[in-house]
Amino acid sequence: MSMFVAAEQAPSRWTRAWSGRRRWPLVSIAGASAAAALVLLPLVFLVVQAQQSGWSEVQRLLLRHSVAVLLWNSVRLTLACTVLCAILGVGAAWCVERTALPARRLWAVALVLPLGIPDFVVGFGWVSLEPGLHGYLAAVMIMTLSLYPLVYLPASTALGKVDAGLEETARSLGLGPWQTFRRVTLRQIWPAVLGGCLLVTLGLLAEYGAFEIVQYQTFTVAIFTEFKLGFDTVAACTLSLVLVLLSVMALAGELALGGRSASARVGAGVRRNAARVPLGRWTAVVLFALGALSALALGVPVGSLVYWVLHGGSSTLPSTSILAALAHTAAYSAAAAAIATALAVPVTALAMRHRNRLTLLIERLAYLPMALPGLVIALGLVSFSVRYAFSLYQSSLELIIAYAILFLPLAVVGVRSAMGQSSPRLEEVGRSLGHRPAVVWMRVTLPLIAPGLAAAFALVFISSATELTATLLLRPTGVNTLATQFWTYTTDFSYGAAAPYAGLMVAISAIPAYVLGRRMSTLARAGAQA
Amino acid sequence: MRRANVPLLSLLSVLGALLAGGCGGASHSGRELTLYNGQHEQTTALLVAAFEKQTGVKVNVRSGDEATLGNQILQEGSSSPADVFYTENTPVLEALREHGLLAPVAAATLAAVPSRYDSAQGDWVAVSARVSTLVYNTRQITTAQLPSSILELAGPRWKGKVGFAPSETDFQPLLSAIVKLDGTATAERWLEGMQANGRIYPDNETVVTQVNNGESAVGPINHYYWYRLRDELGAGGVHSALHYYASGDAGDLLDFSGAAVLRSSSNRSAAQAFLAFLVSRKGQEALAHSHSYEYPLRPGVTPARGLVPLSSLHPAALTPAELGDGSAALALEQKLGLL
Amino acid sequence: MSLLSVKGLWKGYAGQPVLQGLDLEVPAGSLTAVLGLSGCGKTTLLRVIAGFERAERGTVSLAGRTLDDGATFLAPERRRIGYVPQEGALFPHLSVQDNVGFALTRSERRGKQVARLLEMVGIAPLATRMPNELSGGEQQRVALARALAPRPDALLLDEPFSSLDASLRSRVREEVHELLRGQGVTTVLVTHDQEEALSLADTVAVLRDGKIVQQGAPADLYEQPSDERLARFLGAVNLVAADFEDGSARTALGRLPVRGERGAIGRAAGLVMIRPEQLEVRVRSEDTHGAGTSAAGLGGRVEQCRYYGHDALLHIRPEHPGPTDLLLARVHGAQALPVGTEVTVAARGPVTPLE
Repeated sequence: MSMFVAAEQAPSRWTRAWSGRRRWPLVSIAGASAAAALVLLPLVFLVVQAQQSGWSEVQRLLLRHSVAVLLWNSVRLTLACTVLCAILGVGAAWCVERTALPARRLWAVALVLPLGIPDFVVGFGWVSLEPGLHGYLAAVMIMTLSLYPLVYLPASTALGKVDAGLEETARSLGLGPWQTFRRVTLRQIWPAVLGGCLLVTLGLLAEYGAFEIVQYQTFTVAIFTEFKLGFDTVAACTLSLVLVLLSVMALAGELALGGRSASARVGAGVRRNAARVPLGRWTAVVLFALGALSALALGVPVGSLVYWVLHGGSSTLPSTSILAALAHTAAYSAAAAAIATALAVPVTALAMRHRNRLTLLIERLAYLPMALPGLVIALGLVSFSVRYAFSLYQSSLELIIAYAILFLPLAVVGVRSAMGQSSPRLEEVGRSLGHRPAVVWMRVTLPLIAPGLAAAFALVFISSATELTATLLLRPTGVNTLATQFWTYTTDFSYGAAAPYAGLMVAISAIPAYVLGRRMSTLARAGAQA
Repeated sequence: MRRANVPLLSLLSVLGALLAGGCGGASHSGRELTLYNGQHEQTTALLVAAFEKQTGVKVNVRSGDEATLGNQILQEGSSSPADVFYTENTPVLEALREHGLLAPVAAATLAAVPSRYDSAQGDWVAVSARVSTLVYNTRQITTAQLPSSILELAGPRWKGKVGFAPSETDFQPLLSAIVKLDGTATAERWLEGMQANGRIYPDNETVVTQVNNGESAVGPINHYYWYRLRDELGAGGVHSALHYYASGDAGDLLDFSGAAVLRSSSNRSAAQAFLAFLVSRKGQEALAHSHSYEYPLRPGVTPARGLVPLSSLHPAALTPAELGDGSAALALEQKLGLL
Repeated sequence: MSLLSVKGLWKGYAGQPVLQGLDLEVPAGSLTAVLGLSGCGKTTLLRVIAGFERAERGTVSLAGRTLDDGATFLAPERRRIGYVPQEGALFPHLSVQDNVGFALTRSERRGKQVARLLEMVGIAPLATRMPNELSGGEQQRVALARALAPRPDALLLDEPFSSLDASLRSRVREEVHELLRGQGVTTVLVTHDQEEALSLADTVAVLRDGKIVQQGAPADLYEQPSDERLARFLGAVNLVAADFEDGSARTALGRLPVRGERGAIGRAAGLVMIRPEQLEVRVRSEDTHGAGTSAAGLGGRVEQCRYYGHDALLHIRPEHPGPTDLLLARVHGAQALPVGTEVTVAARGPVTPLE
């Protein structure tokens, strides 16, 4: 009898596969498709351009001694900076999140703030402080100081969520404090740290401005040479494909190192918040270390700005409204931050909740723009919009879209850290209580991931507010942002006039940085038991 | 419910941004002109103001790095919103000409400045000039030590003393001139010597600043960078001076700013009028009295106070057209790994 | 009359079948426990009933309304089925009262309903607390109140007491039992704890190999399990060889009546199940020593004594191996005997023959 039943009623493998999979929410699919389309736009431009160059041209471009040197320069810089950022970021996060450090809230903000200082201001600050600063070590130092917050942020969020119970268990199993940190704590925050390192790596691959100032030549320099001196888009795009290749390697590397390994808690019960480690005699040492870090990362550029405000001569440039530039910067950045965050939600949600090859591919794709110079992405948009959407060309909307593409990776990282706060289980319970999925999303999911959304918003806002290359290409004619005005004045030696613009850039970045610093730590703790 | 503010604020800011940018759309009404400006901004602002006052045509200025703007126009192709492209250097104009993106300049405009400075094909007009010079730190170098030719800088005497910016658009014409006057082999040897002797800076501003600071003793730059630094620092902060090479030397070179009308322009007449204004007496005088310290090219217009008169200099007998788009220099720099 | 009905349900994950043609009838107003080992598909069953998963095959219906039959699929929010997951799954960003009021309309939330529900589950003073400030038992009560708030037609409880410590568990269990009885809401409770299932439920359904192997009143299941595995799953057993004669079984422990209609079923010999609490243990005095199987019972020796306080489980090795290797006997806690004590064991009928 039982055999008969099995033969008759066992569904085919096919039906099982389909009904076993939960249906994808349409909104998510639409959002993720839009994100993928936007990200693919500059990539398609690159490929279309690059395929115009013949094989011999590719050989001429790539098989040069100087290109090999530049490539090696890029790789060794990227490796060194990424490792240093990881150490600084995790170390600082641990001090702020897990020790009884005095003035923690202040540190939480100060440590994020270097993100809000554009690379050209950082380089400018260092060179005016120490004119002889250049070469590999200078580049490593300057880039580490400006990029470590990208590791600090996710690391501090993750540390806030670590279950102290696990650490206590490890100690009871005979592990010392350092062993416990390495084998238990670090394991738990590992995906977050790797995510931050990925951003650092990709950002370094695309970096140009700061290296120009400290005279360190990377592969991106070769790309800019083709653009600026050769006016050879084809060659520049062909070289850019090498960057794409490098970033694909970085993305694969992150996966291989366990960037997606689930670090979900097993077992029931409420997560225990960790007790803070008293620093005792070490208080002064830690305070000094964090103080030095902030002084270098924040003090030097800000200090040089102050110096120039006080000592710079007046500019003969036509005076423009700094308020208008501020308003434009704020409006564009906020809009871009909103769009990028909105796009990152479905991308991340699908990759985390409906993981398969396609959703993972889209999520990985979303990181690529970070590794491409803004110029390449902006030219891709120029090329697309003059052909297919001329009414969009050099409109505010196009610039906002460009920002959203450029900084989508930051939003994805922010949202990724938040998505774990809401579990599918909670949403199911919400539905069993009689609410439609949309209502459940608004009343359960959204409030739970809100801190992460705020973080994503702030990260994109800060980066957009300091963006220069794409802004110069895509802004509406006649519109100035803080970054473009700063650039105009500095290229004219009017450092005194330029400094207030840079100061404002830092200031409007400080607000989201403050939000980031506070929200990430406090709300990570509140959302304990999801 | 305060969390709901995030999306609400975002929405408002999107609307705000759209409204704020609404005025920026390119318009081609005939009484308006879109200028892509790669020239120093205050120079342009001055000229544009004078032009607007004289003609009543409104000029929308889009300023940027000239190379970036050049690449942008290359991508825009026949759809470019630009009517006029005004640049600090001519190679970018040559590159656009090679792509067939420039319209011929009116004959009268070309005739207003010495024709040897203009595009050989008449596709762009030279507007102003700078002289390449050597800036030297007056505390480290005496006038007796100064070289008479730029070629000397590659010699062992200058080891560790030279600062230069090989990636700048001003450097390539120098190299192109050496290639043209002394041959590729000499140029390559010279570049190798510079590489061995010198410190590499990202731009001319850094070259002049660091020579003034004493990090480098000398550096090849166009004259006006020094004058502008002097304005920024005030007389008390200046520890450097300019040196002009012997006449006819490859280092003693004129660099030109230029302007062109885009073939795609739908405002050709206004665009041509703007070019004509740039080389008119009024335009050239405005230029001469600006902060830019460039030499006007129209005969009879005197340059700004303090400048060595153009007539007293005897630059190398090379036209911009002869220097071309700098591809030979670029190839050389790439070969030696300077780019 | 059955309110909730599941027929021929198939459901699997990643190609592995979990539920394989499961049938379950839940009488209206009853508390039915689905009992099974961890990982046997209990949670999957609840998730299909709640509508979080689709059935691959089979039907689910509630009060005659089809919820899922392949053609129709009713979304979870339209099923009127409350769900209390294992860990409670309170919304961490909402206070206790907001959690409970989640399913209610705005005006209902303002009324007394939430307070009444909190009162009902006995946590009224905690109304404004946040979930992470609650103990495990309090979280369970909030989850229960939240699920009951919209007056569901049925309620699903997924191992609701497993995360509570022992002393709390029995108390919360009793209170929930009383509460559900009072509400008259049809409830399905899944658990791996046979004691919980037997003590709480009106009906127990045992889930094994993706099917319900037996469903019935707790006592019926305990006393007359359909097979040996089930017998052992529901509690400790002694299996003793027997010859059947006239509706009774002749065993080493004497002649014992056979339970119910399963009587002798025409077999001459087989195994019968005797629960440990059916055995009576007496300490043997010197004079009866060596008597072997007497009228008083089977002689043996205490090998182990598991003491539980209220009772104790003795492992007794019979003197003459044969009828069974080891006998388990449950005695009063006060009767716990030291290892090595010589005893005689007698049985109280009736016994259940097993295949």
